[in-house]
This record gives sequence, C-alpha cells and structure tokens, in this order.
Amino acid sequence: MNPSCALEVNGLSIKFGDFTAVDDVSFCVRKGEIFGFLGANGAGKTTTIRMLCGLLVPTSGTATVGGLGFGDGGKGIKRIVGYMSQKFTLYNDLTVGENLDFAAGLRKLDPAYAKKRRKELFALTGFDRPLSTMVRALPGGIKQELALSAAMLHDPEIIFLDEPTSGVAPAARARFWDLIRKVTALGKTVIVTTHYMDEAEQCGRIALMRTGRLIALGSPEELKASAFPGPMAELDFNGPPPEGFISGLRKARGLLELSPHGMRWHAAFSGGTEMDSALAGLPAGASRALIKPSLEDVFIRLVEGKER
Amino acid sequence: MINPTLRAFIKKELRQTLRDVRMRVLLFGAPVIQMTVFGLALSTEIKNIKLAVFARPDDAVAERLTERFYASGWFKPVLFSPTDDPYELIDSGRADAVLIAPRDGLGRAAVRGDGRMQLLIDASNATKGRIVEAYAKNIVAAFIAREYGPAPPRPFSFDVRVLYNPAMESSLFLVPGVMSMVICLITIILTAMSLTREREMGTFETIVSAPLSDSEILLGKTLPFILMGLVVAALVMTAAWLIFGVPVRGPLWEFGAASFFFVVTTVSVGTSISSIARTQQQSMLGGFMFLFPAILMSGIMYPVENMPPAVIAVAYLDPLMYFMRLLRNIMLKGGDLHVFLVNMAALALMAAAAAGLAYNRFRQTLN
Repeated sequence: MNPSCALEVNGLSIKFGDFTAVDDVSFCVRKGEIFGFLGANGAGKTTTIRMLCGLLVPTSGTATVGGLGFGDGGKGIKRIVGYMSQKFTLYNDLTVGENLDFAAGLRKLDPAYAKKRRKELFALTGFDRPLSTMVRALPGGIKQELALSAAMLHDPEIIFLDEPTSGVAPAARARFWDLIRKVTALGKTVIVTTHYMDEAEQCGRIALMRTGRLIALGSPEELKASAFPGPMAELDFNGPPPEGFISGLRKARGLLELSPHGMRWHAAFSGGTEMDSALAGLPAGASRALIKPSLEDVFIRLVEGKER
Repeated sequence: MINPTLRAFIKKELRQTLRDVRMRVLLFGAPVIQMTVFGLALSTEIKNIKLAVFARPDDAVAERLTERFYASGWFKPVLFSPTDDPYELIDSGRADAVLIAPRDGLGRAAVRGDGRMQLLIDASNATKGRIVEAYAKNIVAAFIAREYGPAPPRPFSFDVRVLYNPAMESSLFLVPGVMSMVICLITIILTAMSLTREREMGTFETIVSAPLSDSEILLGKTLPFILMGLVVAALVMTAAWLIFGVPVRGPLWEFGAASFFFVVTTVSVGTSISSIARTQQQSMLGGFMFLFPAILMSGIMYPVENMPPAVIAVAYLDPLMYFMRLLRNIMLKGGDLHVFLVNMAALALMAAAAAGLAYNRFRQTLN
C-alpha cells in the first residue's frame, strides 16, 4: 500500500444479487485531501462510500481504509472513520446536547473526552447556541454543521460526507465548504459526494462515476484538460440559431462536444484549425468567444455524452 | 455496569418518547382511560336495577320476597299496572328485570313444591344481565334460607329467561383482558414505529455506522421499549386495582415475570414487523394486523374452547392468550402455581421464538 494514501481501493466491485453497483473501481485518496465523488443518482457514489465506511463488504477486489481491511467485517474501519450519511443524521426531537450524548454513547466515548471534543468542535464550527436547543429549531446549514460535529466526535482521521449540502441554502453551503477546508487543514482526509459543480471545483481531486464505473479521476484542471484537449467556443446567435446550422455543425470534423447552455451554445473541438474551419460559416450577427471549459462541460462530455 | 451504548440508547428512546405530549398521553393516559371506562361500566350498573314484580295482591310470600329485593339496595321498584305485558316492560326499557310469581301465589306453590318463578332479564348489556341474574339468585337463596330454614326443600326455583344476549360476559373478567390488550398495543406499535422511523429518516444509517455488534444495536433499540412496556404494565395493574378494585390475589413476582416474558414477545413481534414495513404507516398497520386476530383468539372476548379446532390450534400460538390467562389466574384466582407454570412455560417459549425471529429478521435488514 502506498503510504501517502489515506485509503486505497483496487479492482473493487460490489454486487447485490445480479446487480453490479460498483464495477472494478481503483483509486487512492491522499492524506489531507478533499476528494470528491461526482456522478448522477445511482452512479454508485453512495455504495462506494458505504463500503469505505465499513457498512458493506466488497464482493471482490481489495480496499484498505486507514490501513485496515475487511477481515473483521468492517468493524475496525467503522471505529476509525467518521460518516455523515445522505439523510438526517441527527434526531429532530432531541436537543443538541442529547444528540451529541447519543453519538458519544454509540461509540462508547468517555463522557469527559466527549465533552472536551464537543467544545473543540463547537469552536471549529462556530456553534454558539445552548445545548438545550432542539435540533428541529436549527436552520438547515447549522444542522449540517452540527451533524458533522457529531460525525467527528470520536476524532476520526478520515471523514465521509455524502451530499452534505443538499437542501441547504447557498450562503450556508459556502460556509460548510469553508468548514470542510478547516477540517482538512487539521490534517484530516475528507471524501465528499456532491451534485453541485461549484462544490466539485473546490475538491482537490474528483472521481467521476457512471453506472458503477469510475470514468475519470483527477483535479478539476486535469479533468478539463483531458476532456477538452482543444479549444472551446461559446456561440451567441443573439436569438435562436438559424435553421440547419446546429445540425450542420454536429457533422463538422473535429467537433468533440456541442451543447446548449441557456441561450448560448458551447462547442469544443480537437484543435484550433478544426474549430476555424467548422465555424467559418457562422452566420452574420452571431459571435463566438473562446472560453475555458467548466466542470459542467466535463460532466456533460464524460457522463452524459456516453449515454447518447 | 451496563454497556454505555445501551445506556445511551435507553436515555435517547425515553427522551424521544416521553418528550412528546401526545406520546405521553398514548403511553400512560390512554391505558388508564380505557381501564376507567371499563371500571365505571362495572360499578355504576350494579345499583338501580329496575325490577317489576307480577304477583297476586294476596300473595304474602311474594310480597316479602319483593321487599327483600328492594331492601338489597340493588333493585328499585318500577311503576306499572298489573295488566301490562312483562315483555313490553323490558322492551321499552321501563324495567331491567321482571319477576313473575306463579298464578296461584308463591306461598301456595311453595307448599306444593313446584314454586317456579319466571325471571325476565334484559341482557342487551351482557354485564348488567349477568349481574342481575346473580343478584336475583342470591336474594332468593337468602330468602329461602330465612323462610324455610337452612336445608330448604327447594320450594321454589327460577325459570330464567335471559333476553337479547344469551352469552354473557362479566367486566371483572374483562379487565385483565383489557390490560393485556393495552400492553400489547403499546409495545408492538411503539417498537415497530420507532424502528421504521429511524429507517425512514435515515438516522439508522448513523447507528449502523458505529462500531457495534448486531446484538448491541438490537438490544439498544428494544430494551427501552421492554422497560416502557413493564412500566405500563405496572401502571395499568395499579389502575385496575386502585380505581376499580380488581383484586390482585396472587404474588407480585408472578405478575412481574409474566409481564416480562409477554413484553419481550410483543417487542420482538414489533421488531419483526419493522423489518418488513418500509414506512411508519405500514408498521402501524402491520401492528394492527397482528393485534386484531391476537385479541380475537386470545379468549378476552370469546372463550377459546368455543372456537373450531383449527382456530384453537392457531390460538395456542397467540401470546396474548397465555398472558391473559396468567393475568386472570394471578389477579382473580390467587395465582395457582400449576396454572402459572404451564402458561408461563408456553409464554417463555413464545418469547424465545419471537426474539429469535426478531434477531434473524433484524440482522437481515442490517446486511
């Protein structure tokens, strides 16, 4: 095993009966990294994460998390990782203090240690409400910050966050990502799944998954460079594109990707000369501008493109 | 010292369940209210039974007997005319019971040795009917003893006509039944709903992501409900005893042991239901689907002995039947040890089987 890896997966597959949820996946997550999983619903992100948290035993392949394998059915892994699942991880009908007490009880933490950790985590997250506050009275963003505190109460080195910001207001999402960076600044490794492209941009590296397979892995810049080796143009027709132009452009040599973005179109090409010849017939009144591809373009090209 | 995880579970479940006012009412208020309703029905109807006596004006024995009835405090006279139809008196509700003396007089009939009186009883309320009949028989027996000495030649007897509801049940008999029903309802539904709520909300994922053994999770999610079930059992029994004077003639440890095994069984049934149900509504429906046949076959309402053989066979798998028998035995009969041991063995067997099933089902849902 590579010593710089917090966790390492080789040829991992997880099957439920005949259904292969995760298919021959290999990757390494470096210590202290923010590692993102990106993919549509049902792509296998949550299954992979649940396995890495020790909740599922892989059908084949090997996985080591924090140096531990699955010889004990995942119990050792459960002890050393923190996991914040997709849905509610706190009880709305308990107070903040009662929720944290229960989280400490689940992991048999010494009460004095749990209290010390609680104070540390409240300082980290900036939580300053009374312990007697009912969780249901907290705003969504604060609730998720508290859920992260509960998941980190036992001071895990590796923390898994499954769509931690779904249903959270944009300002609170930004706050939560600040918190994630603070956590990795402490030397912790964070593995996070998300649907939001702007969040994926903030990850150190991203694993792109589609129907159980890992189809791309790299930093946001690397993914953009490998998906779009040539230039990308944004076309603005100042209205609907002329009849037949788009269908003609689709047949152009060297076109990698053509997709509508609101009123405009993004067209990617394998090289500059291909772009120039394909766009030579651009109607009058239309304009083109060279742009840098976004992660959304990458996602469309790599994930949705293959489904066409 | 108890496992810290189990202690955390117990604290959490108690807080969650007891914080909600509706839950507190359901848990502690509803059983007492149900018992109260039964208890009141039992005590108020004993008095003021409207009795009409049809006898010749010169029948001195019948007159003395009538006086005994009214002097008992249970019966009160009804205004009627001798030409009224006795059946019509009961039909219209003007009388609860009608006593009809022989045509030629009770005294003369008694001398002849065939003093058959007719007693009509309105048993549309079964409880009332049974009580009226018992009272009437007691009064007549006492009257005979007084008039004719300790060894009476059975000078007269009753020809009892129980109207409208020939199969009678008494409320005293029903109270232990209601107790077992209420305990069953609360434990099964509470357990099943709590488990499915965790699954529905997603909090269960957090529990299983902690380094716990399967049995720790299962115990953590069931022990709190076993404790609450036992508290409810004690509460309901105290209510039955304090408010309605249902006796507790047997030893308390028998009651405790019976309650423990019964609650373990029902909590296990609730756990098994939750392993099938996907939503809280489904768990609740599942709970009732178990509960209704369990109540009907337990003998709380209808004697098991009267059921067809196939149904009796199923009734022997009904934990409610054993618990109800144990309760009746302990509360009303003084807890005869043989009856206790036989039913207790059966109930313990059920508890073990149900707990085994729950453990298996629960493990399957974990993996």
